[in-house]
Amino acid sequence: MQQPRTELLQGTLDVLILRTLVPGPSHGHAIAKYIQRTSEELLQVETGSLYPALHRLEAKGWIAASWEQSDKGKRAKFYRLTALGKKQLKAERSKWQAFSRAMELILNPADQEAQ
Amino acid sequence: MNFFNRRRKEQELDEELQFHLDEEAEQRAAQGLPADEARWAARRNLGSVALVKERTRDSWGLAALGQLARDFRYTVRGLRQNPGFVLTAIATLAIGIGINAMVFTVTNAVLFKGFPMVERPDRLLYLSSFDGCCVSYPDFLDWREQAKSFQGMALVHGIRSRLDDQGGIPEWFDVTEVSADTFKLVGQQPILGRDFTEADEAPGAAPVAILNYGFWERRFGKDPSVIGRSVRLNGTPASIIGVMPRSFTFPQKLEFWVPLMKTPHVMKRVNRNTWYAFGRLAEGVTAAAARAEMATIGKRLADEYPLTEKEFPPVVQTFTEFYLGRNAPLIYGSMWGAVGFVLLIACANLANLMLARSIGRSREISVRIALGAGRWRIIRQLLIESVLLSSIGGFFGWWLAKWGVRAYELAMVDHQSWLVVDYAMDTRILFYLIAISIATGILFGLAPAARLSKLDVNSTLKDGGRGSTGGGHAKRLSTILVITEVSLAVVLLAGAGVMIRSFLNIYNTDLGVDLSNTLQAGLELPPAKYPSQESRQAFFDHLRTRLEALPGIESIAFASRLPTWEPQRLPFERDGAPPVERSSRPRVARLLVNPAYFRTLRVEVVAGRNFTERDAATSLPVAIVNQSFAAASWPGESPLGKRLRFYEMDTPGLWLTVVGVTSNVVQSTVATPEFAALVYQPHKQLPIASMSLIARTRVPPETLTASFRREIAAIDPDLSVWNIVTLEQVLKGRYWNSQFYGALFLMFAAIALLLASVGLYAVIAHSVSQRTQEIGVRMALGGTASDIRSLVFKQGMIPVGIGLGAGLAASLAVNRLLEASLIQVSPSDPATLASVAVVLLIAATLGCLIPARRAMRVDPIVALRHD
Repeated sequence: MQQPRTELLQGTLDVLILRTLVPGPSHGHAIAKYIQRTSEELLQVETGSLYPALHRLEAKGWIAASWEQSDKGKRAKFYRLTALGKKQLKAERSKWQAFSRAMELILNPADQEAQ
Repeated sequence: MNFFNRRRKEQELDEELQFHLDEEAEQRAAQGLPADEARWAARRNLGSVALVKERTRDSWGLAALGQLARDFRYTVRGLRQNPGFVLTAIATLAIGIGINAMVFTVTNAVLFKGFPMVERPDRLLYLSSFDGCCVSYPDFLDWREQAKSFQGMALVHGIRSRLDDQGGIPEWFDVTEVSADTFKLVGQQPILGRDFTEADEAPGAAPVAILNYGFWERRFGKDPSVIGRSVRLNGTPASIIGVMPRSFTFPQKLEFWVPLMKTPHVMKRVNRNTWYAFGRLAEGVTAAAARAEMATIGKRLADEYPLTEKEFPPVVQTFTEFYLGRNAPLIYGSMWGAVGFVLLIACANLANLMLARSIGRSREISVRIALGAGRWRIIRQLLIESVLLSSIGGFFGWWLAKWGVRAYELAMVDHQSWLVVDYAMDTRILFYLIAISIATGILFGLAPAARLSKLDVNSTLKDGGRGSTGGGHAKRLSTILVITEVSLAVVLLAGAGVMIRSFLNIYNTDLGVDLSNTLQAGLELPPAKYPSQESRQAFFDHLRTRLEALPGIESIAFASRLPTWEPQRLPFERDGAPPVERSSRPRVARLLVNPAYFRTLRVEVVAGRNFTERDAATSLPVAIVNQSFAAASWPGESPLGKRLRFYEMDTPGLWLTVVGVTSNVVQSTVATPEFAALVYQPHKQLPIASMSLIARTRVPPETLTASFRREIAAIDPDLSVWNIVTLEQVLKGRYWNSQFYGALFLMFAAIALLLASVGLYAVIAHSVSQRTQEIGVRMALGGTASDIRSLVFKQGMIPVGIGLGAGLAASLAVNRLLEASLIQVSPSDPATLASVAVVLLIAATLGCLIPARRAMRVDPIVALRHD
């Protein structure tokens, strides 16, 4: 049995991809696996959403792609963060932090009272 | 994005996804799965490759165009396999869109464009004393001075002039006399030479003329040195002072303009000789405000000059009202509505065709959905197909419209050659055409698209692919479409029907005269050359003698008004009747005629005697009355020997002794024909200058036109003669409108009927072909041919019956809108509605008959073996 997975919220995939690319360039499959692993398998990235998102981000200029050798010596399309993408990630991150803090405050008001 | 680039991108995407699959499979293999199982698992994990690819392509932005191009190619391929459907669809659409564009062009030209080359023509209003004519110069001066609603006002008058330029043969041309500021008011000025000035209008000023560009081109070969050249206008030297810009003509089609001279004759308030005035509304003033102000001014003038003004209050009209009649917005509006209906019928037809087609394609579409095509993609595909069809239809429709507008223009020019209307099909028309083409495509493409949203992929794929499931919904939709088509066609037929009835009523009206073999001409003797009654009398006598001498002429008549034209109505008094207040004196129409008039038009003298040539200026003043007048004035008595007299300018004329009674003649507009009371006086006892000549001929009247012209020119070469045509032709012009629009509506209705019955046929035929198997079973179980026929007919005639009922009910409401333009026919005329029902049922029967025969010929063996 697989553990229950959470659907990705609309618009969250973009920021996840950007964050995944911070350490260095990566290809599509690795990006999906990374997100899955890092979220403790809570988030499942559909291939049907991943590649459209990658191509969309590329078109926006937030990430750039180049064909390189993978660690197993095969040709793969590697994506890396651009300067524009870094700026975008910063903006998105603070937006998400504000958002998750707001969600937290509303969903767990008791914590707030306790403080 | 170019294709090379695109292809590379596609390859890269393939490679990228392949890499993804390989990676996934490798990882799963590493977890201990056998190699090919790992591959399958990776595949399942990825889902539909096609879908992933498609969604990724969507994110390429501009690349969506590539997908569109692919859908487009797919559509074209699909359509090429079905040329019959494509031809039907394109023909239907070309007709529907074409006549819409045509009517839009015409309506736009007539109702909204106004005069071409005139600045803000919508701000011009036309002022007259009646509908169209006439104004006296002093009235105009008062209006211009007092009216604050207008920036300016000018006066125009159309005439015919004889131009003789150095040795050429003198020819008659259409000319307009204009007051000096006319061109300034319409915002145009000569491209060569100068405009008219006030000095040109003064009596005795040197005659001048400004040329129309086209005339300058034709007659003078665009020679710029024409400015200052001296020509002979009506026998007097005049100089050309200017040329107006190309394609500018105002206020009618003409060859040149001359100043409207302020001669003493023109400057008399009683002489309503000029055509009409026009004014440009001042900034921010509405037509309604101007109308109200002019009404006030009219009342003031009536108080000031009761004798000349009381009966002639100013009439203020817009371009459309003035040149095309008060009913024009109604007529053109309903024309637009009618072709809108035709287009809707065409749409419903195509929706049905598409629906039938989509049922046939259910399997193909289900397969595509199963393979991962999104529903939106499929719907888009269908819309591409319908919009492609309607665009091609629109393309052909454009040519159809062009041809239609040309035919319309020719018909209009034939009828009103002087009228300036710009029928050019400009970009606005093109946009309209494109807009309705696309809208039509979307509209009829939505029907199958809507059906698709309910398509159940699984059952369609299981079902042998004939698409009989899901048919219930489609059938209902298609029945509704048939009902709609039929009711729209019925509304159109009923509208056209009452209009044709109305025309036939006019056409068959007994006018009281015999029009066959008659030729007529309008004559107007200029007051300068024929100042006295004797000179005018001498002219008419001379003319009559000369014309009567022509071979083929039976008699020559003169009349102050042609039949169906309203004569002057004068206050009168009967001898012995109790005197009445001046203002409440009864009025009656008075005609001046010569003795041959009654004989010429076959009007019977029922009592007493006809006029004779001896009823002249010096003899006893006499009159002949018609039966209506006799019955109204002296009921039960013989009118012979009774006396009456007319009042002119409040002064009683001589007592006239009634010497005869004639049968009745219609002297009112054909729209409201009636045998009103009439009094005739001999023209010899009151020889006015403006008369109509009517000849009865023994030969076809047209053959005498040239000799008429020659004889008139032999007596007075300077005399302008208005068109010499048969009386029948002139009267045809009187009911031309109802004939023309009636015919036009009938044409639209016929197209609608044709489309609706073809639509019905298509639906029934399709349904029969879908039910071949069922019919085969019925026959195998003992169903007779007539059972099958009634099965098919029931399916066809039920929606037709509902549509007919709904259409008739709607036409009762719609026809009420037409009421204003109908003559002597009720908008809910039962005979018309009954014939509409009969015509429709015949058409519908034909539409059902062919598929029914096909159904009856179904061979049960073949049908049951059928797939």
